Amino acid sequence: MMKVKGKHVILSMVCLVLGFILAISYHLTQIENQQTKQDMTDSQYKKTLSLRNELIAQEETNRKLQKELSQRQNEVQKKEKELAKEAENFTSLAKDTEKYRMYLGKVKVKGKGVKITLADGAYDPQEDNVNNYLVHEHHVFNVVNELYISGAAAVAINGQRLTSSSYIVCNGPVITVDGVPHPAPFVISAIGDPDVLSSAINLSGGVKDQLVNDNIVFTLEKENEIVLNPVLGS
Amino acid sequence: MWLPVVGLIAGIVLGLLTEIRIPDEYSNYLSIAVLAAFDTLFGGIRAYLQNIYDEKVFVSGFFFNIILAASLAFLGVHLGVDLYLAAVFAFGVRLFQNIAVIRRILLTKWSTNKEKLEKS
Repeated sequence: MMKVKGKHVILSMVCLVLGFILAISYHLTQIENQQTKQDMTDSQYKKTLSLRNELIAQEETNRKLQKELSQRQNEVQKKEKELAKEAENFTSLAKDTEKYRMYLGKVKVKGKGVKITLADGAYDPQEDNVNNYLVHEHHVFNVVNELYISGAAAVAINGQRLTSSSYIVCNGPVITVDGVPHPAPFVISAIGDPDVLSSAINLSGGVKDQLVNDNIVFTLEKENEIVLNPVLGS
Repeated sequence: MWLPVVGLIAGIVLGLLTEIRIPDEYSNYLSIAVLAAFDTLFGGIRAYLQNIYDEKVFVSGFFFNIILAASLAFLGVHLGVDLYLAAVFAFGVRLFQNIAVIRRILLTKWSTNKEKLEKS
């Protein structure tokens, strides 16, 4: 009887271990299933797969389009740069044109400047020669040259613009500028920096002193706004 | 006679109640161990019915088979060969054979009992 009982005890121990292992295994599998959620049916899986494939395809096309977009953007940028460069060139050209037109006297010019008046000296009975107190064309020359040298953008005599091909001729009692006679007093207006121009004219031993030596009445005014009309008929 | 059944139920209840967590990578070994335990159990029942039951063989076989199967699976994982399939195959075949033998023995016993009853 004892032997049989011992046998049964050992068998029940074995059964206990078996049940234990079984239960743990069952439990573990249950947990695993919950974690991985592999209770997906076939149709669901197929649907997921097709959706995933679609998504991947979409992403690929997106990437391709993105690449194309950046490429196009680069092209656009390049073109914009070119255009900007061209525009720059054009504006500089336009500025140059404006400047050259100004020098040629083809446009109306407005700006700060100086106004110089040369008038004949008063009659002096002690002087025999009338020429000694008249304004001659070389006086006008001197003044105009001095103005140009010191940076005048445009010069006019009695309102008549001087151009690069202007000529000043002494013609008896008058001075002819480009064929137009001008009597004294001569008003020479110049556009440029007034300070620079006036100091250039007033240089001691310069143009002004020479003119004063020749008994010419010389006046210099700084003007805030001088308007020079273009050359007529050009 | 009821003691082994009581032990089995107690083991199942104990296993369900204790929240023992085994890492995922060891769950394979556990399944193999379960298979080995089943195989040994049915082998023991068959041997008992054939009257060649030896307690030492049964108990040592039970634990040794569990450990062997687990270590085989372990080796397989580390060698990169699915060796646990060999264990599954071997134990599965033996399980079916054992159950078949048990069924036949029980059938013959049942039929002889019936004949005896008819004779008496």
